[in-house]
Amino acid sequence: MRSRKYSPKTVTVFIAMCVLAVVMLYPFAFMINTSFKSKAQYFGAPGHSTASWGKLFDTLPVWKQLLNSTLVCAGAISIILVVATMAGFAIAKMRSKATPIFFLGIVGAMLIPLQSIIIPAYINASKLNLLNGYWGAIFVYAALGSPFATFLMTSYFRGIPDDLVEAAIVDGLSYPKVFLKIALPLAVPAIITVIVLQFIQVWDDLLVGLLFIQDPAYRTITVGLGALSAGRVTDIPVLMAGSLVSAIPAVVVYLIFQRQLVNGLTAGIGK
Amino acid sequence: MFFATPALILVSAFLGIPIIQAGYFSLTEWNGIDAKWLGISAYLQEFKNPIFWRVLENNGLLLLGVPVAILFPMGIAFLLNEKVAGWKIFRSIYFLPTAISWVVIGMVSMRFFAQEGLLNEMLKAFGLGFIKTDLLSSEKGALFAVAITFIWSMVGTNSIIFLTGMATLDQSLNEAARMDGAGNFRIFRSITLPQLNRFIQFSFIITVISAFTALFSLIFVMTGGGPGFGTTTLEFFIFQSAFSRGNFGTGAMLGVILFFMMAILGIGQLLLMRKKDE
Repeated sequence: MRSRKYSPKTVTVFIAMCVLAVVMLYPFAFMINTSFKSKAQYFGAPGHSTASWGKLFDTLPVWKQLLNSTLVCAGAISIILVVATMAGFAIAKMRSKATPIFFLGIVGAMLIPLQSIIIPAYINASKLNLLNGYWGAIFVYAALGSPFATFLMTSYFRGIPDDLVEAAIVDGLSYPKVFLKIALPLAVPAIITVIVLQFIQVWDDLLVGLLFIQDPAYRTITVGLGALSAGRVTDIPVLMAGSLVSAIPAVVVYLIFQRQLVNGLTAGIGK
Repeated sequence: MFFATPALILVSAFLGIPIIQAGYFSLTEWNGIDAKWLGISAYLQEFKNPIFWRVLENNGLLLLGVPVAILFPMGIAFLLNEKVAGWKIFRSIYFLPTAISWVVIGMVSMRFFAQEGLLNEMLKAFGLGFIKTDLLSSEKGALFAVAITFIWSMVGTNSIIFLTGMATLDQSLNEAARMDGAGNFRIFRSITLPQLNRFIQFSFIITVISAFTALFSLIFVMTGGGPGFGTTTLEFFIFQSAFSRGNFGTGAMLGVILFFMMAILGIGQLLLMRKKDE
């Protein structure tokens, strides 16, 4: 144990960290403070009010867009979980000649920037009529998230002893049974990491939602907000109230699942 | 391989096939419906476009922020690693922006740098009111503001990476070196840094990839690529070319160029790591 003496060094470090905390928290303070002002108060009139919060719900279909965000996240994450756990299990435990090539393909796919495929993908989706509801965005998010999720699941399944799988096969279980009954329950921590990472990714995204959800009625909250701000709405307090609403779900998820998020981030460093 | 089939289909359909299509359409003049074959001259034409180079210059200038976005968080990780009272709370606070969308960050950042924003108020409070600037209204100023916002948003991610790295440090090495009379700086340079190498590399890759491919939403909200082409980076130029100007062929080509840049970076990293393993 490190003893907590208040040496000059400790105090200096503490003060430096406090200053930095203020810098990192500033956006929240600004959003909260500004959202509780009317337009006039933002431009200098004294006091606070809830006028902008009332206005927000007239400007932006907040509840509908929160629901849209939730549905798009749920759809994309479900697809990612199904394909990534299966593929990860196949790579880690059902090795064949094709495994190394497949694994290389998955790692290679992680290198493809969204902007490099977005134009052909957009044209394809429009030809397939995928731009009118949620599906275009859901599929693109799922495809973008699957390679890294597969990579995570693969390294996790590799940690499960081969003997365990082989013993189960000898006992007469089929691979699908081993996957469902043994591997998946053991992989819950990795699955949670994937869910948390992808939730924040998809919830916060603008570009895919902007292009692949054409009907404004299906827009996610982040896209709704982005479109509003690009429309140069000058009512800044309303924008800030909207920002706050859009940020809260991701922040709550972050606060609860911080450790999983950090695990996901550092998983790429390798051993 | 039955188990891998769904992943294979999904990734091929939405990433694999489109990247091949992008390669093909990059060699054409394409409005999204009809494509006219141009061949390699499509690229040569674009290389003569001064705006293309202007855009790459912006990317280059943003890269100047990368060392700051790595070294500053490294310093923060050292502070956190002192484990003074409340360090876990500080860690959570620094990492918090990771959960916030670029749209929100961009909107706040825009007000911060604005004429009546906090930046100018702070300058005034320090008696530097005469510097009063509207950064977002000049090309270089706006890029600077974008870079600062980018660095700010990388603080959490990179601090966490280095903090993870510091947990792996072998303390006995430090003590042995101290016995041999090595000073703090010497220990940092010859013992700590080499042990952190892997983590520095990782944070470098993450930061460069973010600088090239993660800033679309920030730029979209904060500056719209302007003023002029002041903050148009390659990724934003792709979007503009295709969806504002209808030049889908040019957009596809720029996407292919971005892909090759990132692929070279990724492969370079892999080779570097393999060399170390041998």
